[in-house]
Amino acid sequence: MAQYDFKKITVVPTGNDLIDIVLSRTQRQTPTVIHKGNAISRVRQFYMRKVKFTETNFTDKLSKTIEDFPRVEDIHPFYGDLLHVLYNKDHYKLALGQLNTARNLIKRIREDYVKLLKYGDSLYRCKSLKRAALGRMCTVTKRIGPSLAYLEHVRQHMARLPSINTGAPTILICGCPNVGKSSFLNKITRADVEVQPYAFTTKSLFVGHTDYKYLRYQVIDTPGLLDRPLEDRNIIEMCSVTALVNLHAAILFFLDLSGSCGYSISQQAALFHSIKMMFRNNPVLIVCNKTDLQTLEGLSGEDLKLVMEMKSAALDVLLTMSTITDEGVMAVKNAACQRLLDQRSERKMKSKKMPTVLNRFHVAMPKPRDQKERPVCIPQAVLEARAEEAAHEERKTEKDIENENGGAGVYSASLRKHYILADDDWKLDILPEFLDGHNVYDFIDPDILQRVEELEREESAVEEDGGDFEIEDEDFTAEAEKDLQEIRKRKKLLIQKHRIKKSTAESRPTVPRKFDKDRKFTTERMGRQLSSLGIDPSRAIERARSRSVSRKGRKRERSVGGDGEDEMEIDGGLDNKKKLRLRSRSIEGFKDSAQKMKAVTMARNATKKRNKDARRGEADRVIPTLRPKHLFSGKRSIGKTDRR
Amino acid sequence: MRLEFCWFCSSKIYPGHGIQFVRNDAKIFRFCRSKCHKNFKMKRNPRKVKWTKAYRRLHGKDMTKDSTFELERKRNRPERYDRNVMENTLKAIKKIDKIRHDRAADHIAQRWKPKAAKERREARKELEQSISLIKAPLAIQSQEPAITVPKIKVKAPKQQTVEDQLMEE
Repeated sequence: MAQYDFKKITVVPTGNDLIDIVLSRTQRQTPTVIHKGNAISRVRQFYMRKVKFTETNFTDKLSKTIEDFPRVEDIHPFYGDLLHVLYNKDHYKLALGQLNTARNLIKRIREDYVKLLKYGDSLYRCKSLKRAALGRMCTVTKRIGPSLAYLEHVRQHMARLPSINTGAPTILICGCPNVGKSSFLNKITRADVEVQPYAFTTKSLFVGHTDYKYLRYQVIDTPGLLDRPLEDRNIIEMCSVTALVNLHAAILFFLDLSGSCGYSISQQAALFHSIKMMFRNNPVLIVCNKTDLQTLEGLSGEDLKLVMEMKSAALDVLLTMSTITDEGVMAVKNAACQRLLDQRSERKMKSKKMPTVLNRFHVAMPKPRDQKERPVCIPQAVLEARAEEAAHEERKTEKDIENENGGAGVYSASLRKHYILADDDWKLDILPEFLDGHNVYDFIDPDILQRVEELEREESAVEEDGGDFEIEDEDFTAEAEKDLQEIRKRKKLLIQKHRIKKSTAESRPTVPRKFDKDRKFTTERMGRQLSSLGIDPSRAIERARSRSVSRKGRKRERSVGGDGEDEMEIDGGLDNKKKLRLRSRSIEGFKDSAQKMKAVTMARNATKKRNKDARRGEADRVIPTLRPKHLFSGKRSIGKTDRR
Repeated sequence: MRLEFCWFCSSKIYPGHGIQFVRNDAKIFRFCRSKCHKNFKMKRNPRKVKWTKAYRRLHGKDMTKDSTFELERKRNRPERYDRNVMENTLKAIKKIDKIRHDRAADHIAQRWKPKAAKERREARKELEQSISLIKAPLAIQSQEPAITVPKIKVKAPKQQTVEDQLMEE
């Protein structure tokens, strides 16, 4: 028997909402652009697609709703009756029928208009056809608006119905209003139903669950029943009647002995007898509640007789309890559960399937052959070993040693003790890891010494050879060495001179040799240079002198005569000119170089004193203003001013 | 504890020095100091960086192949401790080290040898060419030529002994 879940029904949109949904879907999910210029087949296709799409959506949504809602005939009669009681079966069916009709209508509209669209001859006509089709579908939907609204209502209510498993063992609680049915439910289950002093506090069915002998029982609390004919019952009472009639359950009829519910025992008895026929095969238990107010024994004779009558009708099952004092509550529950269990087992046993199942079971119990005793068998060796172990002394473990020596942080176990070595003395050796920048472990080899010896032999052999070498005589004699040094020195000097010449080239004038003011190019010089090269210069000097200008000048003097005065005159006259010409540029302003030298010395002497006094001279740098304003004040247009 | 070699400059990394870098493919790069580490991060190839051992070995500046290197191998299987072997090893290490050192020095000396000859040749040439700076050609011609003496190649007597030995054998 399935458990119905009415919570999973999809929301039923209202008429207008449905129209909006479907049309907006069409708008979004179909292409939207079409032009007059497109081929007519394309135009037709475009509009047909829209019509079909709309129809499909409507149909889908309506079909979904129709299928989601349960068909009253197909479900368990309890739910069928409940639905009828709550929502009026006819109205319900009508609403669903209307939805179905609408669906069919929409389908027909689509077929018609698609046929028409096939022959649409212009964009405008196709468009109008599509508009008409969609419009008609929407009108149909608008007409079923009220049905949709009703179904939505029903859906919301159905979702809140208690989920009653029609196949599970159930206990049904019924009786007059206010007798204590809901309080009993609260006591035995975890349900938290409202309990109030006024009648009809419970307006619908409530379900709780309880356990008994590893089985789960449903306990259903019903609204109170009044003694009325069936036709006059209101919806609330009809709920409980439905439950009574359709559910297979153990029925607990509650009696209020004290009459504080507002109904006397006779009224309650009358009710009982009127609904007796609804019980059918269900096990019935009469439960007398509120014994704290009025016990069974304390009843008046008449009441007692009525109660006894009821008891006899219920197969002699009468229980008393009080929900306030918890007296007998559990007993009632157990009794009810037990009775139900018994009935169900009986039924199962009687069912047609039972023999087939029973045939498959067979529990075999071996018959004892004889009265011999056969105990457990343990081999002797094992027994001995066990005995030995028990007698064996406890040896000292590493942990004990650790604890002796100060515990975990203080003592660390020496793992070297258990090393397996050729000689036990070696256990505590300190092993070096590095030596001279090498890893010792990389060199370990049992025959390392051998190989080292080989190496050493190799080395010595190589040494004896001395190797192949070429002896070259010192090809340089002392003289040659000296010459080489000279050459190198000379080269360096040349380079230096050239460098000076290069660096001063810009400031030095290039003067032809005839204006040689420093008198560099003399024959003495030439003579010296030539002799340093190892050549006799005398001939060269002669030749040079013979061709010089001054020589020629002297010749003229001699031819004139040896007169001293004449000589002097000529000399003087010529000398002056010569002297003018011959005067070097470096002796500018002075008579001769001697005079210049004197002048230079005088200048030097003059400055000596001043320098000794360490006074500022003309050549010394002067800062006229030590703190010029423009450097020491003012803000900068860009940048920081943290340095001045 | 193990002495490792720097990946970049191949120098020894003592414990407590340097940085190890483990790449995503689980290759470990050890560096002796931040200089090498930074060079590595710059993606420099140690074979192109002059001061590293990799460069020097590649370009033949340092000794590469030698039997002393075979004695020092990284062993992955631990050997059982034996005191005598350890003693011998320690002594051997010293000797091997010395031999290796000497051989490396020889290698470098061998490299420098041709330079002396070259220098002498160049000096001779210079003397010939530039003698005119200090002595005039006339002067030289008059002098006796006693500047250079032709070189004599003298083979050491070793060869004969080898031949003798061969003859003996």
